[in-house]
Amino acid sequence: MDFFERQERARRGTKWLVLYFGLGVASLILVIYAAALLLFGVAADHRPAYETPAGVSWWNVQLFSGVALGTLAVVVIGSLFKASELAQGGSAVALMLGGRLVNPNTTDPDERKLLNVTEEMALASGIPVPQVYVLPAEQGINAFAAGHTPSDAALGVTAGAMRLLNRDELQGVIGHEFSHVLNGDMRLNLRLIGWIFGIMCLAVIGRVLLQVRGSSGGSNRRQGQNPLPLFGLVLLIVGWIGVFFGRLIQAAVSRERERLADASSVQFTRNPLGLASALKKIGGLEAGSRLRTAHAAEASHLFFGNALRSSFLGLWATHPPLEERIRALDPAFDGKYPAVIRPDDAPAPAQPGAARRAMGFGFPGAARGLIESEAALSVPPVIATSSVLAHTGAPTPDHVVYAEQLRDSIPAALRESAREPLGACAVVYALLLSPDQPEVRQKQIEGLRSRASDAALRETLRVEPAVREVAHRAKLPIIDLALPALRHLSPAQFQQFDSAVAFLVECDGEIDLFEYVLQKAVIRHLEPHFTSVRRGVTQYYSLKPLLPDCAVLLSAVARAGQEDPQKILEAFRDGANPLAYAAQAGLELLPPEQCDLSQVDAALGRLSAAVPHIKKKVLSACAATVSADGLIQEIEAEMLRAIADALDCPLPPFLSAPP
Amino acid sequence: MAAGLIALLVIVVLLVLVLLWAMGAYNRLVTLKNRFKNAYAQIDVQLKRRYDLIPNLVETARGYLKHERGTLEEVIAARNAASSANARAAQAPGDAAAMKALSGAEAALTGTLGRLFALAEAYPDLKANTTMLSLMEELTSTENKVAFSRQAYNDSVMVYNTAREVFPTNLVAGAFNFTAAELFVVEKPEEKAAPKVSFS
Repeated sequence: MDFFERQERARRGTKWLVLYFGLGVASLILVIYAAALLLFGVAADHRPAYETPAGVSWWNVQLFSGVALGTLAVVVIGSLFKASELAQGGSAVALMLGGRLVNPNTTDPDERKLLNVTEEMALASGIPVPQVYVLPAEQGINAFAAGHTPSDAALGVTAGAMRLLNRDELQGVIGHEFSHVLNGDMRLNLRLIGWIFGIMCLAVIGRVLLQVRGSSGGSNRRQGQNPLPLFGLVLLIVGWIGVFFGRLIQAAVSRERERLADASSVQFTRNPLGLASALKKIGGLEAGSRLRTAHAAEASHLFFGNALRSSFLGLWATHPPLEERIRALDPAFDGKYPAVIRPDDAPAPAQPGAARRAMGFGFPGAARGLIESEAALSVPPVIATSSVLAHTGAPTPDHVVYAEQLRDSIPAALRESAREPLGACAVVYALLLSPDQPEVRQKQIEGLRSRASDAALRETLRVEPAVREVAHRAKLPIIDLALPALRHLSPAQFQQFDSAVAFLVECDGEIDLFEYVLQKAVIRHLEPHFTSVRRGVTQYYSLKPLLPDCAVLLSAVARAGQEDPQKILEAFRDGANPLAYAAQAGLELLPPEQCDLSQVDAALGRLSAAVPHIKKKVLSACAATVSADGLIQEIEAEMLRAIADALDCPLPPFLSAPP
Repeated sequence: MAAGLIALLVIVVLLVLVLLWAMGAYNRLVTLKNRFKNAYAQIDVQLKRRYDLIPNLVETARGYLKHERGTLEEVIAARNAASSANARAAQAPGDAAAMKALSGAEAALTGTLGRLFALAEAYPDLKANTTMLSLMEELTSTENKVAFSRQAYNDSVMVYNTAREVFPTNLVAGAFNFTAAELFVVEKPEEKAAPKVSFS
C-alpha cells in the first residue's frame, strides 16, 4: 500500500465516519423523543382526553419533528462552532489542550532534543517542520499530531514524555505521530473533534440547565410549572447517550489507525525497540499516558496513548491495549513494566552534557556509514527514475539518517539564523537574490531596502554568502527549517514579507522554475497560519478536466530542463504520453508564453485539489519528463520535490543510488 | 402543547447559541493571550543573547580602556539590571509594571553602551581588534532581531487589547478578568543613541 492508497483510505474513512455519526444522531433523536413523549404524555394525561390514547403515546408527528429539528439544530450549531474554532488548524488544538509553543531557538536541552528529532523526521519525509508544542502541566507520557494539512500541522508532546523518554524512544513516538500527518489521519481527526463536540454539547447544556434550578427554585412559583430543570436533567441523561456514541465513534475510527501508525513508525526508524521501550515506560509510569486537561475527552482520539482512564470493557478504548502494542513490536516482552525514574529524583550526573550524550544522543553507529563525509554530500546525486514515487510519504531510516547529516551540513550560523524570525526572513530573501546577474541583484537589494527594512537587508547581506555556499539539495530543507520561525511573524510582518518575496521573484525577468517553486512553498505553507481562509474543497475526480493544467506543467518542466527544441519535445512526450493515454485525449507541448509562471501557478493550484490517484499520475509524468535522459540531476530532483510539495505529496530527499 | 414545545425549543436553541458564543469569546481571548506570550518568548531569547554578549565585549575592551573603568562598570551594572528586569517580564509578559521597568532598564543599557562605543572611537587598537569587531557585529545583529521580535510582540498585544475592549467580547473579558497587556516600547531619545559605530 503506497502513500496515495493510504490517502484514499483516509478519505473513505470519512464516509464511515458520516455513517457512524448519522447513526449516533438518529439514536439521539429517538431517545429524546421517547423522553419527551414520556414528559408531555404524562402532562397530557391531566387534560380531558379527546384523542385516542394510543395516538398520543406512541406517534406524535408534531412532537417528533420538533425534537428532531431541535436536536439537529443543537448538534449542527455545536459542530459548526467547534469547526470554526479549529479552522486555525493544529495550533488551535494545541492551545486548547494547554500547549506552549516551543521556541525554535530554545536552549533547554530536552526541548532541543525534541526539536531536533522533529526536524530530522520532517526533513526525511519532505514536509515543513511542524510547530512543536509542549503540554507543560501533563506528567504522563503522551503525544499528538493535529492539523488539516502538513502546512498547519502541530505536534504536541507532554512534559512527561519530553523529560522521561530518551532520544530513541522519542524518535519512535514522533515517528508514530508523523505517520498520522502523512497518512491524512489528522484531517479526519480534526473533523471528528467538531462532530463529537456537537453530539456531546447536549450534555454540557443539560448540566448548565440543571444548575438553573438553584436560582429559580428559591422563587415562590408553583413547582411543575417550570420545566427547565427537569428538562435539563433529561438533557444531561440524554446527552450521556451522545457521549456514549461519541466515544464509540472515536474508538472505532482510532484503534485501527493507531496500529497502522505504530507499524509506520517502525518503518520510518527501523528501530522497533525504541517505540516498544516508550510504550513500556507508559506502562511503568504511575501517571501512564493519562491527561489532566478538561478537553481530554474531546481529543482523546488524537493521542499516542489512551488519554482517558480505560473503562467499559475496553469498548471505549481509543487505542489497542498497551501490552498488545508492545508485543507486536517486541515479541519477547514478559509483561513486566520497568520502574520509571523521574529525572528530578535521580542523582544529578556529574557532567550533564556528557551523560546526556552517552544516554542516547548519538545514532546507532552502523547507520552512520551511509554518507561518510561532507565531500560525499557535494556530489550531485544521480537517481533512477523508478525509485521516485515509491517513497512518497514514506521515509525510511536511511532518509532519517540522511536528513540528520544534511541538516548538519548546513553551516551552523545559517541554521541558527533560520531558527529566528528576522534571520529566517533574511535566509529566504537571500535564497531569492539573483546569484549571477549583478544588475538584477542590485535592483532586488534596492527593492528590499524599501519593502522590508534596513535591518532585514543587513541580515540578508550577512547570510547571503553562507546561503550561496549551500548545495541545491539543501535549499528546500533550509526553507523547511525556517518555517517554524517564520510562523512567529506578526500578521503585519507577514504581509511585508509576502510582498517582499513577491517583489524579489518578479524583479528577475526570467526567474527559473526552481526558485519560483521554492518561494511558492514558503508562502503556501505559511498562509494557513496567517489567514483564516480555508483552501477550497473543490475536488477533481477525473483526469480529463485537468489535462490543460498538465500540459502547462509538463511544458514548463520540459523547457526548464533543456534548450534544444527536439529534446524539449522528447522530454514532454515522455511525460505526456502516459497521461494522454490514461485520459483518452491528446496533449500538446505549449509554446513558452503559454506556460509562464502565473499559468504554472494556476495549474498547480487546480492539480492540488485532485484526488490522490490523479496526483500520482501527474507526479509520475513530471518525473518522466524530468528524467527524459534516464537520470535525474540534483537540481531537477529538488524541483520535482518542490512540485510534489505543491501537490501535498511529500517526497523524501533523494538518496544517492548505491554504488 | 405545541406552543409550549416550540417555546422550549426556541429557548434551548437560544441558550445553546449564547453559551457557545461565550465559550468562543473566552477561547479566543485565551488564544490571543497565549499568542502574545509566545511572541515575548522570542524577545526573551534575543535579549538573553544580548546580555550574554555584553560581558564578553566588556572583557575585550577592558584591556584597552584601562583608564575608563567607571564606564565599563556602568555597562555591567546596567546589563545586570536589564537582565533581572527581563527575568521579571518573562514571568508575566504584558504586565504593566514589569514591561515599564524593562523598557527603562533597556533604555539605560543602550545609553551606557552608546557611551562605551563613543569612548572606543578614541582607541584605534581597540577598533582594529577582530574579537571586538565580530562581537560588535553580533551585537548589532542581535539588536535588530530584538527590534523585529518587539514589533511582532507589540502587534499581537494590540490585537489582544482590541479584542478585549470591543463589545460584546468585553463582557466576557470583564467576567473572567482578562487584563490589558502593556506594549514594549523603548524610549525614543536613547534609541537614537543606539550603538552605531563604524570601524572603517
